[in-house]
Amino acid sequence: MRQVRVSLIACLLVAGFLFCQVATGDDIADRAKKLHFSTIVLDTHDDTTQRFFSKDFDIGKRNPDGHIDIPRMREGGMNAIFFSIWIDGRIMGPAAVQKALDQIDAVHENVNKYSKDMAFCRTAEEVRRAHAQGKIAALIGVEGGHMIGNDIRVLRMFGDLGVRYMTLTHFYNDEWADSSTAKPEHNGLTDFGKQVVREMNRQGIMVDISHVSDKTFYDALEVSKAPLIASHSSCRALCNHVRDMSDDMIKALAAKGGVIQINYEKSFIDQAYKDASDKLTGGVVAMMDEFKKECGDNDDCMNKKMNEMTEKATAEGKLPHVSWERIIDHIDHAVKLVGADHVGLGSDFDGANMPEGMDDVTHLPQITEALMRKGYSDEDLRKILGGNLLRVMEQNEAVSREMRAAQ
Amino acid sequence: MQLSGVSKALLVAGMCLSTGMMLARAIAVDGISERARQLHFSSIVIDTHDDTTQRFFDPGFDLGARNALGSIDIPRMKEGGFGAIFFSIWIPSKITGPEAVKRALSQFDAVHEQVRKHSNDLILVTTAEGIREAHKQGKIAALIGVEGGHMIASDLAVLRRYASLGARYMTLTHSGNAEWADSSTAKSEHNGLSEFGKDVVREMNRLGMIVDVSHVSDKTFADVLEVSKAPVFASHSDCRAICDAPRNMTDDMIRALAAKGGVIQVNYHVGFLSQEFRNAEKAHPEWDKAIALEVRKRCGDRQGCQLIEGDRVTREYVLRGDLPRVEWTKIIGHIDHAVKIAGIDHVGLGSDFDGANMPFGMEDASKLPRITNALLEKGYSEGDVKKILGENTLRVMAEVERVGHELNAAK
Repeated sequence: MRQVRVSLIACLLVAGFLFCQVATGDDIADRAKKLHFSTIVLDTHDDTTQRFFSKDFDIGKRNPDGHIDIPRMREGGMNAIFFSIWIDGRIMGPAAVQKALDQIDAVHENVNKYSKDMAFCRTAEEVRRAHAQGKIAALIGVEGGHMIGNDIRVLRMFGDLGVRYMTLTHFYNDEWADSSTAKPEHNGLTDFGKQVVREMNRQGIMVDISHVSDKTFYDALEVSKAPLIASHSSCRALCNHVRDMSDDMIKALAAKGGVIQINYEKSFIDQAYKDASDKLTGGVVAMMDEFKKECGDNDDCMNKKMNEMTEKATAEGKLPHVSWERIIDHIDHAVKLVGADHVGLGSDFDGANMPEGMDDVTHLPQITEALMRKGYSDEDLRKILGGNLLRVMEQNEAVSREMRAAQ
Repeated sequence: MQLSGVSKALLVAGMCLSTGMMLARAIAVDGISERARQLHFSSIVIDTHDDTTQRFFDPGFDLGARNALGSIDIPRMKEGGFGAIFFSIWIPSKITGPEAVKRALSQFDAVHEQVRKHSNDLILVTTAEGIREAHKQGKIAALIGVEGGHMIASDLAVLRRYASLGARYMTLTHSGNAEWADSSTAKSEHNGLSEFGKDVVREMNRLGMIVDVSHVSDKTFADVLEVSKAPVFASHSDCRAICDAPRNMTDDMIRALAAKGGVIQVNYHVGFLSQEFRNAEKAHPEWDKAIALEVRKRCGDRQGCQLIEGDRVTREYVLRGDLPRVEWTKIIGHIDHAVKIAGIDHVGLGSDFDGANMPFGMEDASKLPRITNALLEKGYSEGDVKKILGENTLRVMAEVERVGHELNAAK
């Protein structure tokens, strides 16, 4: 697979850009491009929010670093994005609530600032409307239940501020749900945790089971009246990482109408990389902790350090190369397992190590083309690129309406 | 005066029995003239300050049912012709930082949930136009005011999100100083507004939130008037010329507020209405402590209960003859004084229901038509009464919204 990439580069070097275009500019490339740039391309997980607090970052301009900004989203055809609200899972209570509000505010302020390019959206219908107007739909997901400060009322206010999904945990357990990367404390969801899920259903906030322990996942699946999402997880069958989902989990998620949004993080999509990375850093949580010592609360710094470290280790041969095509493998695995109705994209841009060839959002059209070459129909592609997630959003909205009416 | 009122009512009741419903409607038992009733129930009546929010946390309280205690619920609001109510978000000013934010959010939620629960009668609105629209639909417009800048935890991002959750005004301080503004009832720390405090006012202007100068120190008030690009209001304050409380406004302050296009919303709290009451309270600080103790005994930490029982226990002191009895007509005195000082366009209603000690005859929202009746009897024109009942507040809201749009467009 890597050879394909090498030959592509050779093509660019030897014959120049134009020739390269012609050489690959077959019917499929054209069709893929046309499809990609005419449909809703939705990414359910981007950590760009953290960058809003950095003076050097301007989402309206092309940035030399990171993965996301408006010019590059335009170039990559990404027209719907979930900005992630995230703080360290060990910050809890009122402090977590205020920090989360600060981040929600930062998203709103950035959307207001660039209202010519972005529209804040709360519903699937609004996403479609933004697309029709040529705007990028901006949505909000809260990455970690610790941010509600153990208070259903705060959750509801997050909903009213436009939060459309909440990941039940981050790396650490909440007071009411176990994480996949921490020692179980609650045997999945506590009773309060179940109440949180029900309230999310009532508010039309999608329940996100990325990051949670397997038991929490099954508990959430049982309690939720609406389909769930995994906003940024890949397939454990291809890369045995706790952050990924087993085939059984993906099947159960799909049976309930949900969708797995494939994460591009190298250690979640490539087994060899994951193994080497674990040996090198002691796992993702230990690695983040190490960087935290240097960066403190500066998450932009954390990302930079993480990228520097992995680049250096890769150059030194301590970590293997990972091609962007692993993403395609994960999408394809999930589709083969549960069908094209239950798979989507959750890059983890600006919050993870991107595989080679997926250096930023501008590379997104490659995914469409690669899947088309695999024989995916236009209809299936539209679903994977965004249609599936919009369907789940609509189902969550319907459940919310029903629950409120029944009250 | 009270006796003659009762005998008049009895007489009228007798007439009603003998002459039937038509006459009963013309002059009802409560002494409200048909003209006043018609005017009152066709006007948009706005109350800019009600502490009922605290009661939402009391499991025994149902906003949809007629309650024996307190001043506000939907049946009594309807009876009193309420068109719009500002539910106050309030926590004690000694609670600051993230804890204050979380608690404030809980109260926003409580208001939103109550509006959702009673959506046949209430609708959450955020604009003057929204209030008019609600009035057309026969619903009571529910709005939100944040009573105390300490709840933003010195964080403009938090202020902005309060605005998106529907907060339409913020009182810059409560009884204690905010980290960036002095209160009228605390020792001055900031000489009015700090630099950050001025930023808060500017951001409120941009957000189209009304800056509320009730509770703030005189210097804070003067600073606000200088900084604010939009009219400001006092959501629940009275006239210091009649009752010399720091929470009330001097004639000069009322004039300056009016010159900027603002409104003083008259508060019904007996301690702000009546100098006599205030003097008696000051003469016996031990009663204040005894009342607080008794309230604590009845309510524990339950804030909603404390506010209601505070009013009840205080009334027990009045009935015993310890504290003077204050009549509701004092409210008219304050309205009239403010109108004489600042003109008809700058006075409104900010009861402080469910958060203060109500005068006799204004125990709850249902008594509100009395104000319309009294003002008409005083010779106020119907147009003037409408202004006081709500139109002045609507004008300020619309103007604050306009300034907000303008500032956003200029950015």
